Amino acid sequence: MVSDSPVYNVKISSVGPGRATVGEVVQHYGGLDLAMKLHYLRGVYFLGKAAAEGMTTTHIKESMFLLCNDYYMTCGRFRRSVGSGRPYMKCNDCGARFLEAQCDLTLEEWLDGYFSGKAEWNVGQLVYHLPVGPELFFSPPVYLQVTKFKCGGMSLGMSWAHILGDIYTATDFINNWGSYLAGHKSNGPFHQQAQPILNRPLLPTSPNGQTPEPLSLKRVDPVGDHWVTANNFKMETFSFRLTATQAAQITARQTHNKSKKPSLFESITAAIWKSIAKIREGINEPKRVTIIRKTNSSQDPMTGNNRIAIGSVSTDFSVAGSDSGDLAEWLSDRIGELVDEKDMIDEAVERDDGASDYVVYGANLTFVDLAGADLYGLESNGQGPEFVCYEVQGVGDEGAVVVVPWPKSSDGEGNEGRVVTAILPEEEVEKLKLELRKIGVLEED
Amino acid sequence: MPPILPDFSSTVRLKYVKLGYQTLVNHFFYLLLIPLLLAFTVEILRTGPQELLNLYYASLHRRLDLAVVLSSSFLITSVATVYFMSKPRTVYLVDYACYKPPVTCRVPFSTFMEHSRLILKDNPKSVEFQMRILERSGLGEETCLPPAIHYIPPKPTMESARGEAELVIFSAVDSLFERTGLKPRDIDILIVNCSLFSPTPSLSAMVVNKYKLRSNVKSFNLSGMGCSAGMISIDLARDLLQVHPNSNAVVVSTEIITPNYYQGKERAMLLPNCLFRMGGAAILLSNRRSHRSRAKYRLVHVVRTHKGGDDKAYRCVYEEEDREGKVGINLSKDLMAIAGEALKSNITTIGPLVQAFEHFCIHAGGRAVIDELQKNLQLSAEHVEASRMTLHRFGNTSSSSLWYELSYIEAKGRMRRGDRVWQIAFGSGFKCNSAVWKCNRTIKSPTDCPWADCIDRYPVHIPEVVKL
Repeated sequence: MVSDSPVYNVKISSVGPGRATVGEVVQHYGGLDLAMKLHYLRGVYFLGKAAAEGMTTTHIKESMFLLCNDYYMTCGRFRRSVGSGRPYMKCNDCGARFLEAQCDLTLEEWLDGYFSGKAEWNVGQLVYHLPVGPELFFSPPVYLQVTKFKCGGMSLGMSWAHILGDIYTATDFINNWGSYLAGHKSNGPFHQQAQPILNRPLLPTSPNGQTPEPLSLKRVDPVGDHWVTANNFKMETFSFRLTATQAAQITARQTHNKSKKPSLFESITAAIWKSIAKIREGINEPKRVTIIRKTNSSQDPMTGNNRIAIGSVSTDFSVAGSDSGDLAEWLSDRIGELVDEKDMIDEAVERDDGASDYVVYGANLTFVDLAGADLYGLESNGQGPEFVCYEVQGVGDEGAVVVVPWPKSSDGEGNEGRVVTAILPEEEVEKLKLELRKIGVLEED
Repeated sequence: MPPILPDFSSTVRLKYVKLGYQTLVNHFFYLLLIPLLLAFTVEILRTGPQELLNLYYASLHRRLDLAVVLSSSFLITSVATVYFMSKPRTVYLVDYACYKPPVTCRVPFSTFMEHSRLILKDNPKSVEFQMRILERSGLGEETCLPPAIHYIPPKPTMESARGEAELVIFSAVDSLFERTGLKPRDIDILIVNCSLFSPTPSLSAMVVNKYKLRSNVKSFNLSGMGCSAGMISIDLARDLLQVHPNSNAVVVSTEIITPNYYQGKERAMLLPNCLFRMGGAAILLSNRRSHRSRAKYRLVHVVRTHKGGDDKAYRCVYEEEDREGKVGINLSKDLMAIAGEALKSNITTIGPLVQAFEHFCIHAGGRAVIDELQKNLQLSAEHVEASRMTLHRFGNTSSSSLWYELSYIEAKGRMRRGDRVWQIAFGSGFKCNSAVWKCNRTIKSPTDCPWADCIDRYPVHIPEVVKL
């Protein structure tokens, strides 16, 4: 069957809570959540034949209705407060958009095509996504797509509006679904209060009465009700895999001082930062990067952007010209003492009651470390996923790089592989590939 | 603005007179007996007990003519036999079961509107119209549509329609078997009514096939008869049970939504999409004396009124194609007035008994229907509560709605022995059909009815306009 996309026969419906949310239940958002509203997390979970056994549409939907009973606060629709226009969610059980599709390839074939880097292969085939708006009333914040593959495997794709929560809440959502699938979980008591947003204490204001502006936040022109990041360039995504061995080699190459060995994430960050600096030579060289990773908090609320730490590091030296090992070491030091700007972002947004629009991913060149996210925690028929990848939609012009753990590739010495996804301006993607090949991060074709 | 329903108390009074005359004419011979009986009683009393005893002894000593003795016994026996044989057989409602859709079929208002917006993306006015209807409809957030209709756009194939029919009918019938202990081989009469889906083989054949009913089962399939077809089926079952002694009749009432979801944009035809929802019921009727003690109800009366002779009434619920050739059901603006007229005809036959009802089940066709009937029959809020709450929880499930309403009354523990229930259904034609039941035994709140998990939340206050 000749078609543009190998994915076809798409059927669209909705899944939502099985129990009615009675009364005027609303979910409010903090400043940080509102700052994230132009971003969307997109993840795909690939399940092999054994894991996908018996996954009929009915079975999947039944389990999702149970899941949505707990997650009713992701199943509503956005509204704006009268007066300030501050977005909140009306928990009206509208639900997540649910898609069913088929693919004439096997899982392996699709994944190979995806990592071949050809432009027509993209995660969008397996995760239908539309941004929120222009009609907030009718825009689902969550999209779920189930695609059945020729080999009997299936993929579950999810598009998750970042305003709802960070990667850790998103992965919990999917992992909990697995529990409902297996019948291990049942809904808790029926409570109808909206989950309270964790109130982080505001930083005390500095002596001159003004808290410093967070470096990781950039205000953008008003987008109204269409929550799309306005880019000056067309953004493109490309992904590559690093096996455990390759990952170990990269780290080894960048370690000058055995006692101060940079982590894998820091090594990759340094390598890519330097490559991008070389591409964007001169004035455009990114002197500052934002680092997003897991925070040390032990709390795990169902929603909210509380489990990530956001901070930025700035250089005054030329990154393009620096030695990559030195850069990695410097980065390691700076990340170790990185200031978490979440509260500052919160306060900055609250200053005008959430009326302004912002970007965080892509405000500066952003590196996201998803280590610590239980990506492979989804269980189906007692099996975990074959592969999981995540990326971010709605990234600002500076671009973002997401580093996702790949535990299925390990070398027995404690090293794990990684999947690296870069979201960059179109014209930079090929140049980056060249650079990465030069430094041995990316294999030759 | 529909015309206000006329006050028909004066015409009712006239009808009472007519009723009285009819009774006189129909029961003439029985009425003749009354003066004879009175005369006999007076004579006995005048004669006095001693005289009677003397008469008795005298007759004993006189050897009465054998012929006289035999013929008088024969006369008494034949009169008694004719009396018992011509008495109509009592029809019992042993039990019934209503279908409860799975939660995956649930359609909250917001989802309905969002899907509508996506399907009718070029017709925002039609979407607005549906929103206005839904806000004022009296439906709640837990009504259900079949799986095929959840898709954007809906996917109504013959296969999915059969799928819905199997799901609804088989679940209801399984539930009925469980509640009554009925075995499929004991079903003598099977009547299935479903107005808008009539495949070949018929839905009744589908039931016969699924449950392997006897080859001499008397099966009937009523289609096209609208929302009042449930009462027509009950009437048919009753008539058949007069002819067939010692029999069980199963009636299945449902409406299959899948093939009838209107896919166009004409407003009058979008209205049923907003109101009709998935549902079905299976009822066991019997004239077996063995069922007498455990039957829930006894059928007292069925009254059928057909206003189809009037053109306006005939056309007020009309299935037709819109300008784009899409088929839908057109509801005329005179619907309420015509419903009022039909009700008038129907209740004057039931007439003087109206005051004696404890419970009312008014077809939950829509909020307006219930409002008007409440006003015209001067019913209290509690009388129409079953109808309103059924509309809220299940939507308009067409011919099966009366059974959900009855189930509500039982679930609330309000059904006592001797209570009389009046079920009133309206439907295309235009017909008004009603049935009167008498409760045979006080019914404990059932634990396995469709209301079991939510009855404690009811009754709910239904606002005039729901804010979406």
